[in-house]
Amino acid sequence: MHHKPPRLADRFLQFFCAPHLLEEVQGDLHEEFEYQVERVGARRARWRYWRDVLGFFQPRYIKRKPSQYPQTYSYSLIMIRNYFKIALRSLQRNKVYTSINLLGLSLGMTCGLLIFLLVKYHLSFDNFHAHSDRIYRIVTEQHRDNISYVSAVPSPLGKVFRNDYTFAEKVGRICTFEDMLISIKAEKGLNKFKEPQGVAFTEPEYFAIFNFPLSVGSFQNVLNEPNTGIITERVARKYFGNANPINQIFRVDNKLDIRVTGVLKDLPTNSDQKAEIFVSYPTLKSYNDWLGSDDAWGGIQSSMKCFVRLRPGVSPSEVEKVFPAYVKRYRPTSKNVHHYKLQPFNDVHFNAQYGGAMNKQTLWILSLIGLFLIITACVNFINLATAQALNRSKEVGVRKVLGSLRGQLFWQFIAQTGLIATIAGGIALGLAALALPYVNQWFATEISLNLLSDWRLVMFIPALILIVTFFAGSYPGLILAGFQPILALKGKLSQQNIGGFNTRRALIVVQFSISQVLIIGMIVIARQIYYAQKADLGFNKDAIMLLPIASTPQQAKTVKAQLQSLAGVEQVSLCYSAPASNGHWQTAPHYDNHSEEESFRVSVRAADNDYLSTFDLQLAAGRNLYPSDTVKEFLVNETFAKKLNVASPSDLLGKNLRVNGNMTGPIVGVVKDFHDHSFHEDINPVCIPSASDFYNNYAVKISTANVPATMAAVEKTWSKMHPDQIYEYTFLDEHIASFYETEALMLKLIQLFSLIAVFIGCLGLYGLISFMAAQKTKEIGIRKVLGSSLAQILWIFGKEFARLIVVAFLVAAPIAWWFMNQWLQDFKFHITIQPWIFVVTIAITLLVATLTVIYEATKAALVNPVKSLKSE
Amino acid sequence: MKRTYLGEFEEIVLLAVAVLNGQAYGVLLMHEIIEQTDRSVRLNQVHSALQRLEEKGMVRSEMGEPTNERGGRRKRLFSVTAFGQRTLQEIQEVRAGFWERMANPLKLTMSI
Repeated sequence: MHHKPPRLADRFLQFFCAPHLLEEVQGDLHEEFEYQVERVGARRARWRYWRDVLGFFQPRYIKRKPSQYPQTYSYSLIMIRNYFKIALRSLQRNKVYTSINLLGLSLGMTCGLLIFLLVKYHLSFDNFHAHSDRIYRIVTEQHRDNISYVSAVPSPLGKVFRNDYTFAEKVGRICTFEDMLISIKAEKGLNKFKEPQGVAFTEPEYFAIFNFPLSVGSFQNVLNEPNTGIITERVARKYFGNANPINQIFRVDNKLDIRVTGVLKDLPTNSDQKAEIFVSYPTLKSYNDWLGSDDAWGGIQSSMKCFVRLRPGVSPSEVEKVFPAYVKRYRPTSKNVHHYKLQPFNDVHFNAQYGGAMNKQTLWILSLIGLFLIITACVNFINLATAQALNRSKEVGVRKVLGSLRGQLFWQFIAQTGLIATIAGGIALGLAALALPYVNQWFATEISLNLLSDWRLVMFIPALILIVTFFAGSYPGLILAGFQPILALKGKLSQQNIGGFNTRRALIVVQFSISQVLIIGMIVIARQIYYAQKADLGFNKDAIMLLPIASTPQQAKTVKAQLQSLAGVEQVSLCYSAPASNGHWQTAPHYDNHSEEESFRVSVRAADNDYLSTFDLQLAAGRNLYPSDTVKEFLVNETFAKKLNVASPSDLLGKNLRVNGNMTGPIVGVVKDFHDHSFHEDINPVCIPSASDFYNNYAVKISTANVPATMAAVEKTWSKMHPDQIYEYTFLDEHIASFYETEALMLKLIQLFSLIAVFIGCLGLYGLISFMAAQKTKEIGIRKVLGSSLAQILWIFGKEFARLIVVAFLVAAPIAWWFMNQWLQDFKFHITIQPWIFVVTIAITLLVATLTVIYEATKAALVNPVKSLKSE
Repeated sequence: MKRTYLGEFEEIVLLAVAVLNGQAYGVLLMHEIIEQTDRSVRLNQVHSALQRLEEKGMVRSEMGEPTNERGGRRKRLFSVTAFGQRTLQEIQEVRAGFWERMANPLKLTMSI
């Protein structure tokens, strides 16, 4: 058998080896190969062949023989000036073409730039701590019949772990309560501040793990004694102005007086540490007795975080092995089995399971979208530029006759593209600066566009311009530089000389598939949000104000009575929360005389006897609660009955129920099911006891007439009764809309992206139609001579585009259906994707496409055939 | 000395070209050198050496006739120029001079 050397190696050799050396080198290699096949066999001969070929991969063999013709010097100042002059002239002459290109490129680059900023911002989170590879957060997996993940631990865990083991260099606990009221004694009255980021009860070791330096004080003597704390410079200015903050007193939540013993430098914006007020950990006991005690193993408060920095060489799995002993010792009987894990610190910002702010996957998808937008903008540029290339054939011909070489013409075109790309880059920078506030608002970020201090950004912009220039300019440049001068000067070049039609078609199909996927996604998300906000939730959510209760249960009753007496207030209820809320107060119930607790958990929605009438909840069986301040009886919902497998809700009546350890009483009524959480979740079993210690809200139902006056009256009453508090309220329907914030953001984004994608797709269409119109000039002329009507000629174009869009739709529809179906699975209650959505999508696309092409197509169809046929 | 410097490997390649007497080309030279010196030589080294020798003017080359055995590709055949011959001779003379002046040349061979 005759053996051949490996083809790929041969091809590679032909690629790199200088032509004048290729023959002898390749000949020698082949001869050697045949010799080696005889000697060591075909397989090893192939290996040797590869080795030998690679041996020739060096400058001596790659360098081409210098041309024998003299070269003109193309980098002289005059030539460069000429390039730019010609570039500007040709840009000015084709204003439409230039502006479309500029628009497309700058839009693509703006998105690229913004996405780059966003990704960079998130990747830079908390990157300024020493030894961050050894820092971990202890988190909890709660194993019941399903597993839930919490980024917090029982509060004593950090302490016992520090005392019992030497794995960790430092263990720091931090317990953050958000939305805290801070009041400061001023000369007259109180200055009150609401701190949404809250107050953190912090051990000093937390600051040994993380790099947040003090500007006043030292870590040896802050955060040790009870009722002392440190604040950031920003907060100090806000509270105390220019006065020295040290030893000043501020009051937390009307409970604790805290003395300032140190001032921190302002926290960097790229940190997940958001609270700026730190109070010594021993103070926690007087704020929350249970949480601050050493035996709070019974449950997990999500605000309680514990960070550790391990000693060098200690592996996290080693540490995780010692945790089960604690569970055995401190929670021997609980059905909720805790598994404590170490979460690497650099995972904290990105792990959604444990409440990370930004999923890494999302960042990847965003980067891909940015890349895609830039690429499509470049592709459109290529399309338009090649379609325009014919117009410049005379220029190329003349230049070639006067001695230009291919390389020079190529660089000339690159220079022109570079000019466009640079202008586009400038526009993109401006647009990005304009759009940045919105981006920051949407993503809740604090990104700044600072060209002076941010070297990565300074590198990124020129790099982007350079890449775009070469990516967009190379292909048209090669086409342009490759024209035969004789043909070019005689005007005999035809569109056949300048590149494939099918590639363009494929590009259009891809662009429109993406646009249509995005449009379908947009419609589905919008429909789902609409559905979630308008569907019947099982209770009335309109015209209900929620005000916080910030006083003793007795005072709350007085406030309620006063609110009820106001004109325009229809009903007031004291309650733990509205029927639908994000809070999770869940507990395992003991039902009837069952010896064990039930395996499901029940949401406790403590409320008084006006709850049902305020929210229009319907009873399915039994009666409403009687007025009471303590737990005497229960209402439950229908799901509760279903979970117990009781045939009829009325069978529950009179049975005893015990929840939360000590709340016990008979079930007196069953309410019809209502959505107690967002549509993401199933309806949970719910019980409603009266328990005034647990009420957080006044739910005030107001009449829809004269709302402003009623609201003002409500505010006045509330403020009079709570002089040391800040008045705030939410409307229930707004509160419910806030469940879908993520979805609303996604809707905004997808609207934006689909707009951009459609726009860029249209640019592509425009490029294709100009290309087609140029190519079919003669054909249209002949058809017109033979008697075609305008409509028939328009149909030549229409046919083409309709076909492309239908193909794109066939690609897009199943992809979009699949993706959106996946997305909808996040909701336990969701719409179905109906056929009309697809019909609307393709109709929109066809309409937009028609509007794009109609002008150019009509122009081409109206050309006088005498003109188009005469030229040759 | 005023003659052009010649590396050790170049010298061997030049000698091999001289020995093959007008029939020398890449692969053949490589095999010849492997056979005579018993060291591993690669094709690109031989080619590089030949190019350098040609740049120094010690060999000249021409394309041979196409043959069947290498897919119809021509060989580049090398032969030694007069300058190359003179250089080889000079090297030989220099070395012979040293050998003659050596006090006890036999002892060296004995000790092997």
